Amino acid sequence: MVTLTVNGVVHQVDVASSTPLLWVLRDHLGLTGTKFGCGIEVCGACTVIIGDSAERTCEMSVGEVQGQNITTIEGLGAIMAPLQQAWIDEQVPQCGYCQSGMLMAAAALLLDHSHPTDSQIDSAMTNICVCGTYQRIRAAIHRAAAAMGSPP
Amino acid sequence: MSDTRLTGKGVTRRQFIASTAAAGGLLLTFSLPMVSRLARATAGTPATVEAAAVNAWIRIGSDESITIMVGSSEMGQGVISSLPQIVAEDLMVDWTRVKGEHAPPGAGYVNPGSGAQLTGGSMSVRGYYQALRTAGATARDMLVMAAANQWGLNFADCSASGHGTVVNSFDSRTATYGELAPAAALLTPPTNPTLVPDAQLRLIGTSVARPDLPSKVNGSAVFGIDATLPNMLYAVIRHSPSIGGTVSGTPARPQGAIAVVSLGNAVAVVASDTWQAINAAEELQVNWSVPAGTSALATDQIFAQAQQLLLSGTPAIAEQQGDVATALAGAAQRVDLIYDVPYLAHATMEPMNCTASVTPTSCEIWAPTQAAGFIPGLVVSLTGLSPEQITVHTTYLGGGLGRKFEMDYITQAIKVSMAMGQPIKLTWQREEDFGHDQYRPMAMVRVRAGLDSNGNIVAWWYRNVSASILYQRGWIGPNSVDSQATDGSTELSYAFGSRQVEYVRHPATIPVGFWRSVGHSINAFMVESAIDELALIAGVNPLAYRQRLLADDARSLAVLNAAAALAGWGTVPPAGRARGIAFHAGFGSIVAQVVELSGTTPATIKVWKVACVIDCGRAINPDTIEAQMQSAIVHGMTAALWGKITFANAKASPRNFNQYRMMRMRDMPQISVQVIQSGAAIGGVGEPGVPPVAPAIANAYAALTGTRLRTMPLTGPQASYDPIFAGNFD
Repeated sequence: MVTLTVNGVVHQVDVASSTPLLWVLRDHLGLTGTKFGCGIEVCGACTVIIGDSAERTCEMSVGEVQGQNITTIEGLGAIMAPLQQAWIDEQVPQCGYCQSGMLMAAAALLLDHSHPTDSQIDSAMTNICVCGTYQRIRAAIHRAAAAMGSPP
Repeated sequence: MSDTRLTGKGVTRRQFIASTAAAGGLLLTFSLPMVSRLARATAGTPATVEAAAVNAWIRIGSDESITIMVGSSEMGQGVISSLPQIVAEDLMVDWTRVKGEHAPPGAGYVNPGSGAQLTGGSMSVRGYYQALRTAGATARDMLVMAAANQWGLNFADCSASGHGTVVNSFDSRTATYGELAPAAALLTPPTNPTLVPDAQLRLIGTSVARPDLPSKVNGSAVFGIDATLPNMLYAVIRHSPSIGGTVSGTPARPQGAIAVVSLGNAVAVVASDTWQAINAAEELQVNWSVPAGTSALATDQIFAQAQQLLLSGTPAIAEQQGDVATALAGAAQRVDLIYDVPYLAHATMEPMNCTASVTPTSCEIWAPTQAAGFIPGLVVSLTGLSPEQITVHTTYLGGGLGRKFEMDYITQAIKVSMAMGQPIKLTWQREEDFGHDQYRPMAMVRVRAGLDSNGNIVAWWYRNVSASILYQRGWIGPNSVDSQATDGSTELSYAFGSRQVEYVRHPATIPVGFWRSVGHSINAFMVESAIDELALIAGVNPLAYRQRLLADDARSLAVLNAAAALAGWGTVPPAGRARGIAFHAGFGSIVAQVVELSGTTPATIKVWKVACVIDCGRAINPDTIEAQMQSAIVHGMTAALWGKITFANAKASPRNFNQYRMMRMRDMPQISVQVIQSGAAIGGVGEPGVPPVAPAIANAYAALTGTRLRTMPLTGPQASYDPIFAGNFD
C-alpha cells in the first residue's frame, strides 16, 4: 500500500511501490489529464509538479514520492489559474495532448522565475508538441507572468 | 389567416403545418447520439437538461445550450470549433452557448467532399461548409416557425433576433430557442432556407475562441487513451520485431499478466493495469515466424533499387503536355537532378490506443480515429454483430497526422475484448508506435529540365519512384499511377513549355500510409528545389524567376508577392543569414513561405524566421488558420531537418523520441502568417502549410552557402548517385 498526496488529497493505493507515478495517476486515481507519451522521460507529456519542481513521471516510482505534495493538471487551477487563462487567451492548444505537461512545466518555471526570459523559457520548456504550439506557449508564459503581477 | 401567402422564405405556413402532420414523428425517432456511458460515468451528476434535436446536426437544450454535431474528428486542426461556427452563423446564436460534439458514424454525417466519414485531405471545412450553413438556416427557420405557430402569427412576421431567440414585428413577445426547440423538432424542414448574406456574417471570418480549449488546459478533455470503463482490463501490444512476422505457437502467460492474446502479427498482453501489462510484456517469449526475403527489407537495398528504377523502371504517365524529349534535346541548357526523401514516422503525441467493449449482443468502441465511418463495418466483419448493435465514440485525438486513418489498433482492441469477454483498453507503447507505423513513403525523384536561351523552362521531365500507398491497399493495380505519390508534382501552376510527370512504383513492402499532406510533402521539396536551381542557372533571382513562371496566374502571384513582402525579401538580411522562398498549391489553397536561416554546415542550420502566406479562398476562423500554418511549419521543419526512419532486416529504427529529434521550443523560428481571402472556392488549411517549408530551407541554405542539399533530412548524409545520371538525357 502506497500513500500519495495529490492535489491536496491523500490517497491509499494498492500498487507495488515500483509502479511509475504516471500509471498510478491514470489507472488508479482516475487523473487522466497527465499523459503517456514515450515512457522514457523524454517527451514531457507526463509532467507534474512535485513540491515546486516539474517532474516527468513515466519512470518515477510512487515509492519515491510518498509524502510529497504532487500537483497534477487537475490541480493546477488551485495554484496558478492565470496560467490556464493565458493559455486560453493565446489559444494555445491544438490537439491538446501535450498541453497538460506543457502547463505543468510552465507553472514550475513561473514558480522559479516570475518573469522568465525567452532564454529561460527555452531551457525550461523541453517538452515535445507535435502540433507546434511553441510560439503561442511562449506568448502565454509571458502573458501569465504579466497577469500574475509581481514586478520583473 | 393568409395561409397561402408566400412568406419571405418561399415557404407557406400551410406547407409547414401540412408537412409537419405528414412527417412529424420522423424526427423524433432520429437516432440521436446520446450521452455516452463514458460521459455518464465521468460526469458525476445525472444530466437534468432536456435537449431537442432540431435536425441531425443541432441539439438545443432547455438551458439554451447549443450542441452541434461534428462529422470530422478533432485532432488539433480545430474542426470541433470551425464546423459548429459555420452552423451557428445561420442558426443565429451567440458563440458562447455553442459547443461541438463528435457525431457518431452515420450516413447523415458523411463528408460531402470526400463521400466518407473520415477526416483527411484538408477536407473538413470545404467539404461540409454548404451542408452546415444549410443545416443552420433550416433549423433557424423551424424555430421561427415554431414561434409563429405558438403566437398565431405568420412566419414572415417573426424572425430570429441573432441571439438565440425569436421575436415578432407586432409585439414584445420573445421566445428562446430552448423553449421552441421541442416544437420546432416536429416541423418539416424548409427546402430552401435563406442563408445569412455575406455582408451580414457575424461569426464566419472571425477568430472566435475555440470551445474545446478550456478542457485542454485543465486535464478534463477525454482523448482515446483516457477512456475508462467499469470492469475494464488493460492491454499492451508486442508486434513481430520484423515487419511481416507472425506468431508461431502460443506464448506462455508471463507473471503479472491475466492473459496473452495472439493476434497473428502481434501478441496482446492483458493485465489489471497498464503498468502490469507493460512489465509482463517485457517477460513475454514469442516465437516469431519471419517470412523469406525479410532481410531485403533494408534501407540501403531499397534506395539502391530506387536508383535502378529511376533508370530502368517502366513508368506510368501521370501528366503529359507536349513532347518533352524533343524539347529537352533542343534546349539551350539542360540539368539532371536527383532528390530523395526517407521513410518517416507519424509520431503522434498520443500513441495508438483503443478501448473496446464487446459482448455477445453489443460492441462499443472509444477510439481516437480519423475514420469513424469505417469502424462499424470493421466491427461487423470481426464480430458478426449487426450495425444497430454497434456504438462508436470518437474521442479527441492526440494528433492524427494521417496515422489514425488506420484500423490496426482498433482491430486489435476489438479482438482482445472478444477474447477476454470484458472491456479492454489497448495502448501501444512508443516503441511499437515507431516500429509499426504506416510510414510516409521514401521517394526518389529525377528532374531533367531544359532552358531556352532566356532561361525559360522549355522541358520539365519528372520521374518519381516511391512505394504506393494505394497499391499496398489493393486500391489500384501494380502499373497504375498512384495519385497519392504524385500529388504535388502534377497540375503545377508554373508555365513550362512541355512537361511529363512519371511514376514508377517501388515494390518494397514496408507498409506506407498517409502522412500530413502525403505526396505534396514529398514532391514540393523536389519541385521547389529544382525551380531554385534553374533560377540560379538562368541567372534570375528565385523570387523573380517564380514571378515569371506564374505571370499568367494572378491568384498565385498575389500569394507569392505577399510572402516576399512579409519576409522583407530584397532587404539585406542580418549578417550570416540568407533567405529562401518556396511556393506550393494543394488542397484547394495556395501557400508561399520565406525562410531566413543561418548555418555554415547543414548540422548548424538555424531557422530564424518563417514568413507564410496562404490564400484559402475564404477563412472561417483566421486565428485557427494561423495556428495551422504555425503547426504545419513546425511539422515540416522536423521532417526537413531530422526526420528519418531506417530499416535493417525489416526492423525499424529509431523507436523512441530519444533518438528521433523533434522540433522543440529552442528550435523555434519566429513565424509570421498572413491569410488572404481571395474569394475563390474554400481551400483546406490543415495540410497545405507543410510542403513549402523543406524546400524553402534548402533554398535558403543554398543561397547562403552555395551548397545544394538534395537529400532529406537536410542535416543528414547527402546521397551520392551513379555517375550514369550525369548528363544522361535519353
